Amino acid sequence: MSMTETLPGAPARRSLARRLITQIEARMLLLTLVVMAGLSLVSPYFLTTNNLLNAMDQSVVVGMVALGQTMVILIGGIDLSVGSLAGVTGMVLGLTLPALGLPGAVGLALLTGALAGLASGAIIIFGRLAPFVVTLGMMSIGRSMAYVISGANSVGELPAGLGRLSTDTIGGLPVNFAILLAAYGGAWWFLTRAKGGRTLYAIGSNAEAARVAGLSIRLWSILAYGFSGLMSAVAATFLASRILSIDPIGGNGLELDAIAAVVIGGASLFGGRGSIIGTLFGVFIMVFIRNGLNLLNVSPYWQGTAIGSIIIAAVLAERLLSDRGRG
Amino acid sequence: MTDLLALSEIWKRFGATIALAGADFTLGAGEVHALVGANGAGKSTLSRVISGHIQPDRGELRLDGRPLRHASAREAIRSGIAMVTQETSLAPDLSVLENIMLPRLGQRGRLDWRGLRARAGRLIDEFGQEAGLSLDLPVRALSIGQRQMVEILKALAIDSRVIIFDEPTASLSPMESETLFGIIRALAARGRGVIFVSHRLEEIFSVTDRITVLREGRVVAAGVATDHIAPPELVRLMVGRELSDVYARDARSGRAPGNVVLSVSHLAAPPRVRDVSFTVRAGEIVGLAGLVGAGRSETVETIFGLRPAAAGHIQFDGQAFHARSPRAAIRAGIGLIPEDRRGQGIVPDFSVRENLMLAHLGDHRGPGLGYEQRTSTVQALLDTLGLPAHRVLDASMLTFSGGMQQKVILARWLLLGPKLLLLDEPTRGVDIGTRASIYALLRRIAAEGVAVVMVSSDFEEVIGLADRIVVLSDGVTVTEIPGDLVDIENLAMFAAPRSSAARTRALLTALREAHGGIACWIGLDGERLFCFDRVGDDEAADPGFAAGGFAPVAATRIAVALAARAEGFVSEADGRASLLVPIRGRRGHDLGLIGLTLPPGAVLPDAAAVRARIEAATAIPTQTIADAA
Repeated sequence: MSMTETLPGAPARRSLARRLITQIEARMLLLTLVVMAGLSLVSPYFLTTNNLLNAMDQSVVVGMVALGQTMVILIGGIDLSVGSLAGVTGMVLGLTLPALGLPGAVGLALLTGALAGLASGAIIIFGRLAPFVVTLGMMSIGRSMAYVISGANSVGELPAGLGRLSTDTIGGLPVNFAILLAAYGGAWWFLTRAKGGRTLYAIGSNAEAARVAGLSIRLWSILAYGFSGLMSAVAATFLASRILSIDPIGGNGLELDAIAAVVIGGASLFGGRGSIIGTLFGVFIMVFIRNGLNLLNVSPYWQGTAIGSIIIAAVLAERLLSDRGRG
Repeated sequence: MTDLLALSEIWKRFGATIALAGADFTLGAGEVHALVGANGAGKSTLSRVISGHIQPDRGELRLDGRPLRHASAREAIRSGIAMVTQETSLAPDLSVLENIMLPRLGQRGRLDWRGLRARAGRLIDEFGQEAGLSLDLPVRALSIGQRQMVEILKALAIDSRVIIFDEPTASLSPMESETLFGIIRALAARGRGVIFVSHRLEEIFSVTDRITVLREGRVVAAGVATDHIAPPELVRLMVGRELSDVYARDARSGRAPGNVVLSVSHLAAPPRVRDVSFTVRAGEIVGLAGLVGAGRSETVETIFGLRPAAAGHIQFDGQAFHARSPRAAIRAGIGLIPEDRRGQGIVPDFSVRENLMLAHLGDHRGPGLGYEQRTSTVQALLDTLGLPAHRVLDASMLTFSGGMQQKVILARWLLLGPKLLLLDEPTRGVDIGTRASIYALLRRIAAEGVAVVMVSSDFEEVIGLADRIVVLSDGVTVTEIPGDLVDIENLAMFAAPRSSAARTRALLTALREAHGGIACWIGLDGERLFCFDRVGDDEAADPGFAAGGFAPVAATRIAVALAARAEGFVSEADGRASLLVPIRGRRGHDLGLIGLTLPPGAVLPDAAAVRARIEAATAIPTQTIADAA
């Protein structure tokens, strides 16, 4: 096979600058560095070890949910139920902890999350319903069940073993953050090297073509929602380990942060386009900006406006850059 | 003739493809102007530039000598240009009336519903009665032919001065086409300019005044009078070479088909597939011919497991076969190249390489991708297909030409080494050069022992390529003919929807009831006879062929009558007597013969009276276009 550069129509060798523009991951890394540089200029405290450790800690819960959400968004769906599922699975964890012990209670919470997600997925796929509506319903059910099973009471005084998930370190990194990175590494492998991962992309890009080519589009679509539910429970576990108490309102609004992180990370809400590494940087950007606004003493009332504007700006920039990259 | 519409130096580029390269075109008032070219020549692009659906990159449009620059189809409509498209753009939930008046909704001012209703009613009275249209039917309930008619009425409803018909007959029977041609001539007679886009030669020669030929985005013949050009010359202009080179007919001979690979009997998959039976052998190319909507795509999709079968039996590779999913079909050794490349073939966000590997991924067992194991096969395939290896690394295949895209999709399936390959309109949107290489490739695949089923609306293509042609009409197999024994006209007759053949059927039944014997509707091509329909089972009057059958004229039992083609009854040696009455379209277009054969010794009715009856029943009513347009 001859790869002469002079052949008409041959792709020119990509320069570094061009790769930075055309590759989502590179683009997001660049954007994250810009945000960090900007914040370190306005607040000298931003780049301190303490603050960075704090930011890592804050990125775990939303990062876990965003990981599951990415899979769903890649197939062109959306999961609005993740925050509520984090709430109800957290309550399952807290309420069964005395009876089942830590591993049993965590296992039951994860199972609950996965089953709820699979249920949403199955209803969406077999009922041919809009993901928005089904997961909106599941969002309402999840929050309601969190109150029902807890009697609207929070559970406190969780065992210290759970807290160690957030306080221990491994190789200098907080153990919860290390688990987050490992999860993203695994997801990256899955999405780029495994049949299931490529199937998710194919479904989002052109489900009909994937079906004609013999890919199991129903199975993988349902699994994506199941995985998103599972990750909600994982997030609930890390949330509980951080604050050592579980509240039925826990995880409230998490779905919006997760969707925002995925979108800032360059994924298309129409599916088929996006990257798990992009999502990770999207999570970092969200966390850094919120962290920076706190450092700058910006009123919480104004923070919503700031974050919202940044989401819109990021999506606009992404659209402009990716259009240029493809032209 | 003054120019009503004039286009000069029109350029249009889509991605890497130049669709129009400086095309010129003029249209006079009162003429029917054919815009012809092979697939991908740019005729559809040019007509969409005229209709305002797309904007040219460069070039000028003039209407009545005034520069025209419409930014949208709505503005084009306002300046009096309307297009009747091949894929109907009707709103299925609205009524016929609302659809006909749809362009009005985009215009300024208040809607006068009563006026619109009266106007639409007049249009239907003039043109739509034949198609059985009524104003308040929802379009969802209409057949494809009827929808096409609504589309035409829609263009007539807006006082258009220029009307573009883009492949209007793709879903019409020969009789419906005749009606349409009548409308087109009448429009021209009233000073409208009609642009007729088609690749069917017989239509072009029967309905148009002038011809403009496009090839690869350029005009190769501008406004030549239809009378001054012969069909072979037109084909040469369209194709740039002799058609025989494209199909390489001689390659078909000398190949003995192998075992039966696929056998389909009485397959039904409502609503489109009702009773389909055919077989395919290894090494054979079988064409599934028919009109758009005849159930051909649905048939191959049912075999492939994309649609559930309601009834019938499929045998694949010697065993009963029922694909629950495409995956099952793929693992059994079947490949499907669907009609809609963008919708069902290409994954736009995947690189060319991953698109190539997509069916492999469906076939692959295990959690990984297993791309490596196919590397050597991919190399060999790329060489065979003439695809440049470096293009495989491209991040998207949307910048490829239609032909290149189709080659990648073909490679996707050939990679798996299928036993049976189902192709649905494999050359749609493929330029003529690549078409020839795809034909050659299909021959080669078949020669290697693969059974090939090809769905095509292009009768010329089916005849040129298929070893056997299975004709479907309204979801039913009507006949099966060797590819080298049939011509385009008779194939089109077989493919006529049963609904439109109902009138002929009624005539045949009436003739048999009145006179006994056997009544039939036949077509002749030289020494060959094709029987489209037949009523009656009187053994003594048997003409020697059945409905859907074909035979050499000499081998029938009414050979004398067929040879004589006399005005009255002609008797055979054994005494059976036949009357044959030709039916013709409005401009003398041959629509076959109606025959009545009576047993020996029967009292012959008055031939002139029977003839008059047949002519009255088959005459296509001549409508006047007065008031309507």
